[in-house]
Amino acid sequence: MSWAIRTEVVQGEGVTEETLSLRPPAHRVSRRAIGYWTVWAAVGWVVLIGIQLVFVLTSDDAPTWLTVMLTVSCVLAPLHLLVMPRWRYRIHRWEVTGEAVYTQEGWLNQDWRIAPISRIQTVDIERDPVEQLFRLAKITVTTASAAGPVKIAGLDHAEALALAAELTKTTQATPGDAT
Amino acid sequence: MSTEAPSDAAVGQWRRLDRRMLLIRPVLDVVKSLPVLIGTVLLGRGNGWEWFGLGVTTLTVLVGVSHVLTSRYRIAEGQVEWTTGLLLRKHRAIPLDRVRTVDVTSEPKHRLFSLSAVRIGTGRHSPAQGASGDQLVLDAVSQAEADRLRTVLLHRKEIPAEAEAAPPPEEVVAEVDRKWVRYAPFTLSGFAVVGAVFAAVWHFAHQLNIAPENVGPLRELMDDLANTAVWLIVVVAAVALLVVVSLLSVGGYVLSFWNFKLTREAEGTLHVRRGLLTTRSVSIEEDRLRGVEVKEPLPLRIAGGARLTAIAGGLREGKGGDKGGGLLLPPAPVGRVHEVAADVLRENFDPATVPLNRHPRRALTRRLTRAVGAVLLPAAALFGLAWVDFLPSWMWQVTLGLVPLAAFVGWDRYRTLGHAIVGRYLVSRSGSLARATVAIRREGVTGIVVSRSFFQRRAGLITVTAPIAAGSGSCQVVDVGGSAGLAMAEQAAPGLLTPFLRREAQR
Repeated sequence: MSWAIRTEVVQGEGVTEETLSLRPPAHRVSRRAIGYWTVWAAVGWVVLIGIQLVFVLTSDDAPTWLTVMLTVSCVLAPLHLLVMPRWRYRIHRWEVTGEAVYTQEGWLNQDWRIAPISRIQTVDIERDPVEQLFRLAKITVTTASAAGPVKIAGLDHAEALALAAELTKTTQATPGDAT
Repeated sequence: MSTEAPSDAAVGQWRRLDRRMLLIRPVLDVVKSLPVLIGTVLLGRGNGWEWFGLGVTTLTVLVGVSHVLTSRYRIAEGQVEWTTGLLLRKHRAIPLDRVRTVDVTSEPKHRLFSLSAVRIGTGRHSPAQGASGDQLVLDAVSQAEADRLRTVLLHRKEIPAEAEAAPPPEEVVAEVDRKWVRYAPFTLSGFAVVGAVFAAVWHFAHQLNIAPENVGPLRELMDDLANTAVWLIVVVAAVALLVVVSLLSVGGYVLSFWNFKLTREAEGTLHVRRGLLTTRSVSIEEDRLRGVEVKEPLPLRIAGGARLTAIAGGLREGKGGDKGGGLLLPPAPVGRVHEVAADVLRENFDPATVPLNRHPRRALTRRLTRAVGAVLLPAAALFGLAWVDFLPSWMWQVTLGLVPLAAFVGWDRYRTLGHAIVGRYLVSRSGSLARATVAIRREGVTGIVVSRSFFQRRAGLITVTAPIAAGSGSCQVVDVGGSAGLAMAEQAAPGLLTPFLRREAQR
């Protein structure tokens, strides 16, 4: 990502302009995550369209706005299912260094999260049924703040296990109660 | 206070809750289950439902009594242990070095027998257990025991229970000035009371099938009103509401803050005492103090007042009576608030007063779009409903009339936005109706979150959040310019962001 904004940094007598931006984290998530995101989004759309269908079919004289909404949903759903997972796959990235965990996620709205290793309190691995189907796993790293958990979703399961083990080892090696 | 006869470690003995709770708890439990009791007796007469109601009430009372009888706690081997339950046994242990705050509350029911409820907070946040997961509540012990617990838990110093040790030496940081009660009407806290009372009366009347228009005096009033000019009714009603709300706010201020006192104890603990009927005493370890927040809601700001709260690990979070655990100064003159903030942080200035870096103009556009949009959307909806003759058309017209006000709020929200890094502190200000300036110590920052919504991306803005090791606390800098925001974030958590930043020199 890059911004067209410039900050003025005064260096000595001359004024130079420096633009800061975040570089993307080093690793992509597993490619199978595209399938995973598609499945969950499809579930959402099926429920939404299903409810609307029931209303339209059961009422004798369905109001026009309901039919319009149903049509809009039916057009948006395939677009969303095609675009969102691929877009996400291009955005979702992660990196673990000796000092920090760094992730980039989202599609329309994007988030970058950085948590220092020294502040990590717990490392959890979660797998919902769909994740199990795609042999994926999600790692959640929590710190003492409720605002700061870092999640890495869509990791290959084996890779996630190794990463969690490594993180736990580093965390234990860091003294203090992480607050 | 009875103690279990033999104790394995000489340090801590098992103690029980004060037996006088046996007199209070059953009465409260019966009162609590009154709705069920009345409901089942009134509605289910003759078909056995009243027995169900009686059974539930008895069970509630028994559970309450057994809680008082079976709860035991001790401080031993570096942890606070607590067990309770007759059938379902619970045991919880909290290491002493995890204890962050001790909150001692005496509600009127406790004060009958000089008792206090003690809440021990650890400030750990485990999503699985929720806010109460790592909190220990002793409801209730004698006030002397509460004081002892407070000292032992926070200063890690063993004091014999019966010794009635002299209170630790303390230095007064701030005390409430009775003249400050003039700020009470500007807190609008009375509105909540009026609303609640009105809703309760309305609901009750509705339940009993009393239509307000059929009550004698009310009907006469309605008839009188029908003959009066509308503008007069509106003015009189507004004035009456304002008077009632002001009186209630003053009453609330007196009840909550009349003997407010903020002190610092020699061992490095801040101690807040307040309350007329319900007394509360909150202790905050200074090591765990992450920063302060100066709150200036619009009405209070107009009157030149503000409130001060602490940002610290382990403070109680919650709604209603649970809120306000971190209050360091009730509504008071803003100058005094800054003095106290500086004193609490042990600085010679209040970081919340420093000049802040403004945010780009594009943030103003976003503020205006949002504020005005929040009025225009409902107006459009109301217009639509008026169009199909569902609602009278004055409703959308009135809503539309609010647009200038919304625009003002949006502009004020932009004017308020700002951030700065001053010494050890990261300072951020935002909000108009509820303006707040947060100053947090940078060493308390536990990470950085940068977020950019679709629309922020187009405007080249980002929102930087600095999570703090203080429960749900975080310091948010909204709609800051991308590059400036990252520069600030880099300083807020020194070294953390640097390896992930790209620098491009321009020109």
